Amino acid sequence: MAELLEVSNVVAGYGDGPAILDGANLTVNPGKVHCIIGPNGAGKSTLLKAIVGMLKVRSGEVNFKGKSLKGKRPDQVLREGICFVPQERALFPKMSVRENLRMGGFLMEDKAEVERRIDELEERFPILRERRSQQAGTMSGGQQQTLAMARTLINKPDIVMLDEPSLGLAPKIVREMFSIMHMMASEGITVLLVEQNAMMGLKNSDWGVVLDLGKTLFEGPAADVLGDPRIQELYLGGKKAA
Amino acid sequence: MVDFIQTLVLGLALGGVFALMGSGLSLVFGVMRIVNLAHPVLIITGAYAAYWGFRTLGVDPLVMLPVAAFILAIIGLILYKLVFEKEAKSAKFTQMTVLLTFGTAMIIEGALGTMFTNTQRVTSPEYATDAIFIGDVFIPTGQLYAGIVSLTIIASLALFLKYSRFGYAIRATTQNRDAAELLGVNVNMVSMVSFVIGIALAGAAGSLVSFVFSFFPAKHWEWIAILMSLVVLGGMGSILGTVVAAFTLSVVAAFVGDFFGSTWSTMTFFLALFLVLLVRPQGLFGEKPELA
Repeated sequence: MAELLEVSNVVAGYGDGPAILDGANLTVNPGKVHCIIGPNGAGKSTLLKAIVGMLKVRSGEVNFKGKSLKGKRPDQVLREGICFVPQERALFPKMSVRENLRMGGFLMEDKAEVERRIDELEERFPILRERRSQQAGTMSGGQQQTLAMARTLINKPDIVMLDEPSLGLAPKIVREMFSIMHMMASEGITVLLVEQNAMMGLKNSDWGVVLDLGKTLFEGPAADVLGDPRIQELYLGGKKAA
Repeated sequence: MVDFIQTLVLGLALGGVFALMGSGLSLVFGVMRIVNLAHPVLIITGAYAAYWGFRTLGVDPLVMLPVAAFILAIIGLILYKLVFEKEAKSAKFTQMTVLLTFGTAMIIEGALGTMFTNTQRVTSPEYATDAIFIGDVFIPTGQLYAGIVSLTIIASLALFLKYSRFGYAIRATTQNRDAAELLGVNVNMVSMVSFVIGIALAGAAGSLVSFVFSFFPAKHWEWIAILMSLVVLGGMGSILGTVVAAFTLSVVAAFVGDFFGSTWSTMTFFLALFLVLLVRPQGLFGEKPELA
C-alpha cells in the first residue's frame, strides 16, 4: 500500500532554539488510526506542528500524496487535505457552535455547500444541533472536543491530526472521542493522534509510533508496540500486567 | 420629573458620540492588542478635517464624515506600516504599544498645532445650535444627529462583523489568533484592515465631535481616560460592551453634573475606570484576565 504521508529524518524546533525533532520518521497509511506516544518533551506535538507548517522543517522531508509539504503555510496544508486540531482545540469561545463550524469552511468558496455540510454534521452529532446557538466557550470539555473534531470534517480531509484529544476529559468521554476517530477511519479518513496516555492510545489505534528525544524509535502495528517488552518497560509503565 | 427626563436625554445624546469614539479603540485592541493612546488625537485629526472642509469649502461636517474617515484610514495605514507591523510578533507587544502610541499622539498633536494653531475650534452648522422640544424636554439637534449617525455606523459595523466573511475572520482572529490561522485566515491582513477600520472610525467620530464639542490639539489628553473608561468597563475588545458603557457612563455623568455641578461630571469616567479595574477588571463583556 502506498504511504499517504511520509516523514523522513525531520529536524525542527521553535524559533532559533535547539532542535526538538532530530531525525523523526513517520509512515502514515490511509484509513487507519495512528497513535504517536512518547515521554514528555519527546517532540510529539512538535512533529504535528512541523507537518502542518506551524514550525519550519529545518531538514528532512515531509511528503503527502507524493508532494512535498516543506515550506507550506498551515492554510496551504489544509487545502492539501490535512486538518489539525491542536491541544487547546482551536475553538472561538465567543462564537456560537454554528459559527465555529462555519469557520471550519472558511477556505471553501461555495458557502451554500458549507451550510449543507454543517447540516449533515448536526445530523451526525446531535449535540451540535442542540447547542447550535450556544457560545462554544461555555460548553463542557467533551462537547468542545466533539465540536473541534466534527469541524475538521467540513473540509472532507484526507488526514485529521489530533494533539492529545483526551486531555482533561473523563474516561467515558474519552471513549466517545475514540469512537468518533474510528468512525472517521471507517469512512476513509486517516487519523493521526498524539497521546500522553500511551496504553490507552495504543489500545485504540491500528498503528503505533514511539518517539523519544526527537527521534522515532519504533513504529509498527499498535498491537506489536503494545507487546514489545522494551517498550513496555520504557514507555508503558513497567512490566505487562498479567 | 421633567428635570429627570431632561438630564437622561442629554446623557443619552452624548452617549452615542462617546460610543463611536470608543468603538474604534475597542476594535483595534480586540484584534491587535494595541492600547491605542493615540486614538483620541486621531479623533481630533478627524475633527480638523471636518473643520477644514467647513471653513474653506463650506461643506457640512456630516457630509465631510466619509472624507474624514477616508483621510484617517490612510493615516491609519501609514501608522500601521510604520509603527506597528514590524513589532507585532514581539512578546511584549501590548506593553510596547502604550509607549509607541503615546509618542505617536505627541507627534500628531504637535503637527496639528503647527497646521491649525492651538486656538479652540468648532464647526457651526445651523443644527449645532438648534434644539427640538418634546413637551418641556429639549433635545439639542447637534447631539441628536451625532448620536443617530454614530449608532448607524456602529450598527453597520456590528452587522459587518456578524455576517460578512471578513467579519468572521476579524472575530476569529480576535478570539483565537492561532486557530484562525490554522483554518486559513490571513491574520496579518486581518490585523491591518481592522486597524485601518478602527482609525477610520476615529475620523468619522471626529467629524461629529467637531460640532458637538469645541476642540484644540491638546484636548485629546482629556479624552484618553474617558475613552479608556468606556473600553475597560465594556470589556476590552468588546464593541457591544463599549456601546453599553458609553451610554451608561454618559447618563451617570449627566446626573452627577446635574447634582454636583458640571465640573464633577467628568469625574464619573475616572472613578468608573478606577472602580472597574479594582472590582471587575475584565469589564462587562470581557474575558477574565489570565492569571499566569
